[in-house]
Order: sequence, then structure tokens, then C-alpha cells
Amino acid sequence: MAESVISVQGLIKRYGSVAAVNDISFEVKKGEVFGLLGPNGAGKTTILECLEGIRKSDGGTMSVDGCDPQSEGRKIRQILGVQLQSSSLPEAIRPGEAMTLICAWHGLSPRFDLLGHFGLDPQDKKQYCEMSTGQKRRLHLALALASDPTVVVLDEPTAGLDVQGRAQLHDAIRALKATGVTILLATHDMAEAESLCDRIAIIIRGRIAVTGTPAQITSAGHAETRITLWTKRHCLLPGKDIGGARFLKQAEDYGIWLCRDTASAVMELLKEVQMSGDTVEDLRVERPSLEERFLELIERGVQP
Amino acid sequence: MNAFFKHLWIQFKMDIRERGTLMTYYLIPLVFYFVMGAVISSINPLASQTLAASMVIFAVTMGAVLGMPVPIVKMRESGVLRSYRVCGIPGWAVLCIQSVSAFLHLLVVSLIIFVTAPLFFGASYPQSFIAYFLSLFILLFASIMLGLLIGVVARSQPIATMLSQAVFLPTVMLGGIMFPASMLPEPLRAVGRILPATHIMQAFSGLAYGLSTDIDATLSLLITAGIGIVATGLTVVRFKAMGKSG
Repeated sequence: MAESVISVQGLIKRYGSVAAVNDISFEVKKGEVFGLLGPNGAGKTTILECLEGIRKSDGGTMSVDGCDPQSEGRKIRQILGVQLQSSSLPEAIRPGEAMTLICAWHGLSPRFDLLGHFGLDPQDKKQYCEMSTGQKRRLHLALALASDPTVVVLDEPTAGLDVQGRAQLHDAIRALKATGVTILLATHDMAEAESLCDRIAIIIRGRIAVTGTPAQITSAGHAETRITLWTKRHCLLPGKDIGGARFLKQAEDYGIWLCRDTASAVMELLKEVQMSGDTVEDLRVERPSLEERFLELIERGVQP
Repeated sequence: MNAFFKHLWIQFKMDIRERGTLMTYYLIPLVFYFVMGAVISSINPLASQTLAASMVIFAVTMGAVLGMPVPIVKMRESGVLRSYRVCGIPGWAVLCIQSVSAFLHLLVVSLIIFVTAPLFFGASYPQSFIAYFLSLFILLFASIMLGLLIGVVARSQPIATMLSQAVFLPTVMLGGIMFPASMLPEPLRAVGRILPATHIMQAFSGLAYGLSTDIDATLSLLITAGIGIVATGLTVVRFKAMGKSG
């Protein structure tokens, strides 16, 4: 079993009387992409900022690759690469200068190769204020990797990006994972979390509501699987409950059923079609999505 | 140290690329100097004696007090300081580099004025070059520290602009750089005495040019340096407090 690289135990952060993060604990294993999911204001960024050492926690313990971010600020910068949610650079800086600057403070030669890797030209005279949102995001990711960190923290990395920019950044994150870097990703984009993360923690009102793989989280919900069926002679329409399949509605030629035991419900529906001498034109089985599970958790508060 | 100087060099180049900085550090002070130089030398030849000093005070105060604070607040508001911090660049280093870069730019402007004032407007050379440059360095130090203090104290860019103007306008009107402070009514002279410009003008006049002054020139120089030291202390305290609350 892989060792834990990030360990957070009982983390508490208050703003006045409001607990933005309330007794949160989780561990991230080496080489894993761990997602923090939650609605706006859930406390994701606060957790990351405490881990980055730029915000003081009010309780609990944290460790990143054996280093306490709250007390070992200098050491954590060697271990951790960070892309902030709201990050910026001076408007007049050029990509090559930004890389030179960051590497100089880490005592390294400029990593212009990283700029090239993320589709940026180190010789580009374009200033930061003239770059597109996608270019800025990729530049910040390249800068976060400049010190060869073992852990990378990405806070809403694709916010504000177009489809192409998003896809490019997702590829970059996958490539990063392939190199064995541990990634902690905060997002409120379900599709992003589902496609990139090995494990996810859903955070609601400063508490972890559920932790697990995307598949574990979706299957643990109360939402039912949806079966959509179209037969040649519409033998099942107008619809009715068949065995464990509960009829939901008719949509044009399709009948839609909900079920908990997917395998037996599908078998029963197909048996009914066969007995009627009809044939199946189209059959779709849709498991509840992470998004549905997420919405279910939000509606029910923090209780899993 | 290598990182500090690389950062300083990049900052220096960025300052030149930034139109706003270029305007407040170079363009407006130099245009003002050339216009005022022509006016002052024609209407009051006596005032043209200390023209270099008075125009240097104007240029340095403008660059440091008007030019520095807003970019510092902007860096804080836009997340540049946070980005730097998570990339391993300490906040104190960013402020130091801003200050040293401003020092170099304003020194260049000051030298342009010092060299051209006698050539173009018949201004006198100082009797003591050492006293002149000592006064100049203390002026640069005090003004930059005041600019830095405003930058770390102001919560937003409009407040920074307001605070900068609150220092800059009295400096121009009451500091004795446009006309002798002795011509002002006593209440305004009293207000002028809390400004570094008033004291440094006395120091330039008395120590560098050997002219008679209202206040002891050496004391004035020390008061200006004291203002710079107090501003430095307050900046450090405020910046540390910002780090703790962040």
C-alpha cells in the first residue's frame, strides 16, 4: 500500500465565529490525484491555503511529505508546487522572466523546458497582461512545477477556460500524474473530478461529507439507475412497473424506468419484450452521476 | 543574493515597460522640471540658484509618494504577492526590490536634473557635492519609505491615491520647493515642518549651497532621515501584521 504524502487530521479554521473548516481529516497517497469537491464557500480553498502555509489554522495537524506547512514555511516551498485559484503576476512580466525569477529564488537554472512543455515560448515578448486566460493558467502551472515538487496543489485550475484550454490542462495534469507527482485538486466541476481524480472528498459547509473513489461515491448514493428502452413495436408502452423496474415516464418512443438492482431489472424488461415477440431497437443504462450524488449530498447537508 | 539581483534587474525592466510607472518616475517630473525651470529662471533668477535641488525634491516625492504605493496595493489586491509567496519569494524581498528599483529610477531622474539644470537654466552647482549627494540619498530614502508605508497601509488603490495626494500636494505647496517657505503664513509653515520636503530643502540650501536657512540645516537633514527611519519601522510592523493575518 502506498504511503501517505499528505496527512490532515482534525483541521479547524475559523473566521471570527464562523468555522470555515470544521474538524477535517484526510490522507493522500503517493502518486494519487485527490480531489476536494464542494460548492462555493465550502472551505476547499481554506484547506489548501492552510496546507500551503499561507493561512494559519486554528486547530489540527497537517503534514506534507513529512513537513509541517504551518511551521516550516521555507521547506514546504521546496516540496509543494502551488497553482492558486486567484493568482496573478505583474502585468509587465514576460513568461521567460517569470520562470527566471521563480527558479532564481529556488537556486535553480531557469526551467524554460517547462514553458515549452505547456505550449509557451520562453522567448515570447508578450507581457502577462497580454496573455489569454489559458496561457496564464498554463504559465502558473509551469511555475508551480519549477522546483520539481513532489506534491502539487491545484485550486480550480480550469476555472474560466474554454473547452480547448480545459482539455489541454487536463492532459497536462494527467501527464503530471504519470510522472508520479501527488496532486491535490480543488474543483467544483464534477466532470473534471470524475475524469482526473483517483479519490475524492466532498466538502459541505466545512466538513467532509463523503470520501472515496468516484465510483464508490456515486454507488453509495440513494439515486437510482435509469433504464431507457425503445422497442420496435412499443410493446412496453404505455409503461408500467415491471419487476424491480419502476416506470418513470415515456419520452417519444422511449420508455424510462428507474431501478436499484440494475441487472435483474434489465433482465425482466428484456424478458417482457421477448415474451411480447418484440425486438429492442435501443437500450441505455445510466448509473447516477457524481453530480447527482453531489447534489443529493448538498440537499441532505453533511450526513452521508 | 543572486536571486535578489536577478529579481531586481527584472523589476527594473518591468518598471520601464509599465506606462504608469514611466510617467510618474520620468515623464511628468522631467516635463514639469523643464517647464518650471524655464519659468523660474526667467521670473526669479535667485530661485534658480537652488533649482536643481527643488526640482529633484519634486521629482523624487512624485515618483516615490505618488508612483510607488498604488502598484504595491495592486500587487496585494490582484494576488501577485500571494503568487510570489507560494513560489518561494518572500514578501519582504518583494518590497525591498520595489524600493531599490524605485531608488535607481529616481536616482537617474535626479542626476538628469542635476546635470542639466546649470546647463539649461543657469542653476548654480552646489558648494559641497558631498552634502548635495548626502541630502539626495536621505531624500530618496525618506520618500521611498513614505511611499512604501502608504503602499502597505492603504487597503485599496483609491485609498492609496488619496493618502499619496495628502502627502504630495502639501509637499509641493508648503515644502518651499516652489517658493520660499518663509513667505507662507505661520500656520501653514507649521504644517510644512512635518513634511520631509521642507526639511530636506533646508538641508540642500544650507549644507550643499551654503545659503542661510530658517531651520538649522544639519538638524533638518537629521529630521528627514528620522522620518525615513520611522516610516521604515511602521512599514515593517504593518507588513508583519499583514503576514500574520494572511
